[in-house]
Amino acid sequence: MSREDPPTNAVLSVRDLSVSFATRQGVVRAVDGLSFDVGAKEVLGIVGESGSGKSVAMYSMLGLVRDANVSISGSVRFEGREILGLSDTEMQSMRGGEVGMIFQDPMTALTPVYTVGWQIVEQLRAHSDMTKKAAYERATELLAEVGIPDPKSRVNHYPHEFSGGMRQRVVIAMALSCNPKLLIADEPTTALDVTTQAQILDLMGRLQATHGSSIVIITHDMGVIAEIAHRVVVMYAGRPAEIGPELDVVRSARHPYTWGLLGAVPRADIKTRRLVTIPGNAVSPLEVPTGCAFAPRCQYRMEICAQRPPLRGADDHLDACWLSDEQRLVIRSSATVRGES
Amino acid sequence: MSDDVLLRATDVVKSYSSRRRVKGLRSLNTAVNGVSLEVKRGETLGIVGESGCGKSTLARCLVQLLPVTSGHVEFNGVELTTLSRRQLRPHRRQMQLVFQDPYASLNPRRTVGDIVADPMRINKIGSDAEINARVRELFETVGLDPSALRRYPHEFSGGQRQRIGIARSLSLNPSLVVADEPVSALDVSVQAQVLNLMTDLQDEFKLTYLFIAHDLGVVRHVSDRVGVMYLGEIVELGEAELLYEKPLHPYTEALLSVVPELNDTDAPRRERIIISGDVPDPADRPTGCSFHPRCPAATDICTSEKPAFVELRPGRFVACHHPRNVDSIAPTS
Repeated sequence: MSREDPPTNAVLSVRDLSVSFATRQGVVRAVDGLSFDVGAKEVLGIVGESGSGKSVAMYSMLGLVRDANVSISGSVRFEGREILGLSDTEMQSMRGGEVGMIFQDPMTALTPVYTVGWQIVEQLRAHSDMTKKAAYERATELLAEVGIPDPKSRVNHYPHEFSGGMRQRVVIAMALSCNPKLLIADEPTTALDVTTQAQILDLMGRLQATHGSSIVIITHDMGVIAEIAHRVVVMYAGRPAEIGPELDVVRSARHPYTWGLLGAVPRADIKTRRLVTIPGNAVSPLEVPTGCAFAPRCQYRMEICAQRPPLRGADDHLDACWLSDEQRLVIRSSATVRGES
Repeated sequence: MSDDVLLRATDVVKSYSSRRRVKGLRSLNTAVNGVSLEVKRGETLGIVGESGCGKSTLARCLVQLLPVTSGHVEFNGVELTTLSRRQLRPHRRQMQLVFQDPYASLNPRRTVGDIVADPMRINKIGSDAEINARVRELFETVGLDPSALRRYPHEFSGGQRQRIGIARSLSLNPSLVVADEPVSALDVSVQAQVLNLMTDLQDEFKLTYLFIAHDLGVVRHVSDRVGVMYLGEIVELGEAELLYEKPLHPYTEALLSVVPELNDTDAPRRERIIISGDVPDPADRPTGCSFHPRCPAATDICTSEKPAFVELRPGRFVACHHPRNVDSIAPTS
């Protein structure tokens, strides 16, 4: 994967994004105070378990959460321009144009009733003045670029005629068709087998290097983050628990939730003895504590955890936890957080 | 059959006739293509493979939920494939299943207490009071509150439902538990809880597991021995740690090399071997070795001759003309 380009100026800048839904049972705070930047050519990973708000955060930014009971606040700047509250037409010209999207299930991202070529052409023509003929040629080129064999004939095939991995390549070709500055990929490899996942991650890494797009990749898999991301946001219950460079977060995680998440992964590369477990279940979004959201499951809980911890830290490695650096040192040296007991 | 083998499969084939025609002939879709394996008492045999490799079909054939097309399955020394349904019953009790989808595998209209009690009622084991006491005990064993047994499945989270599925599988004191992707629908923190539970239960009840999963990390973690499946065949089988450290089959090697790893040490990661293309159609198998069209080590012999599944080193079986890492593994005798 290409990692040589460090983040420079932010392409996407999210500040204090909150998304809540009014339901009959009460207010669901799906995203609560999320802030991060994505630099030019940077790959940012957002990791969290189901219900952590990682997808809702991205969808709401792009105006894809169309629910009468939703309220979105905060600020989302794309290339310096505020995009929260843009009109539908403005949003539409941005989505698929400057911002490309890759979804988890390629079958739902493609319509089954048109050929893949037709679908790419439609997108190209919606965002440019290309003629039909030129757009078809470009579609064929794009399929070749994402590694689909025999693109000249495949461009006239329907999605069901492709395998899962090939379909995801088509979706990537579509997402890249208008040379987006930002690519948002929601669990792009989760539905794929490990060998296909490797092909797709490899492709995304190469395309990112050649097109120079920034990528936000949403995943539940810390391994995928380690493969492709420069920086990572760990989310829990709609809030950022920890943000930092990928290597720092994996090697010197600061938040107890991140410790649990890393220790719970059964490894294919080394022998794991007993897995670290986080006791209990994910907190109900209706009952997120006013203090630290993770406190009810945290074995290092203190009195102060009844208050919400600020996101703080040194340089670019931030965490939302009341533990002091000394306390963390003691806990980490006990080695139980990594399942090395 | 030696005493330490609980289940032995010999050359098990499961094929379906398909309406499709391949090369003008009505095709035969061979989901399991001649699998031989042994599951030893008290061990966990992991079966790992990508989607469509036939691992679930194999599991269903082994427990006789699907009739085999040919081949033999011996359980506790008894040949199962020739038994009638009635004759199978006492053996079925000994082999229980845990399923992948904790939503689809529990009847939404029955209370979870009933779900766990049903196997005992069907097999007429014990009085109502005894069954009731046993259900409570099982709930505690799997870490659920017995006061919840009058609730319905929808009131439980995915991890809790999988615990209910495990409690049900244990209700008849089976000797073999076949778990088909038991944790793949769960979040990683919940997955860890369920895997630890399964490990504890194995120790407590001396269970034998046949553990089927696509996640290579999960399989390494739980298994004593591992079989790797590709296109309906076991291409490699061996002791888990050795197989992961020194894979013999090029497919195993490639598979292991592309698992995303956490960069938490300075150890260099395995060199990634990205195999191109997709798994072939099981109705239109390649000639010779099934893996040869995608294999980086393939030569002429691989296209013409099917490699035999042989014990290359003690306990290490492989079906390959050009096995890897052979020199670094101690030879036989």
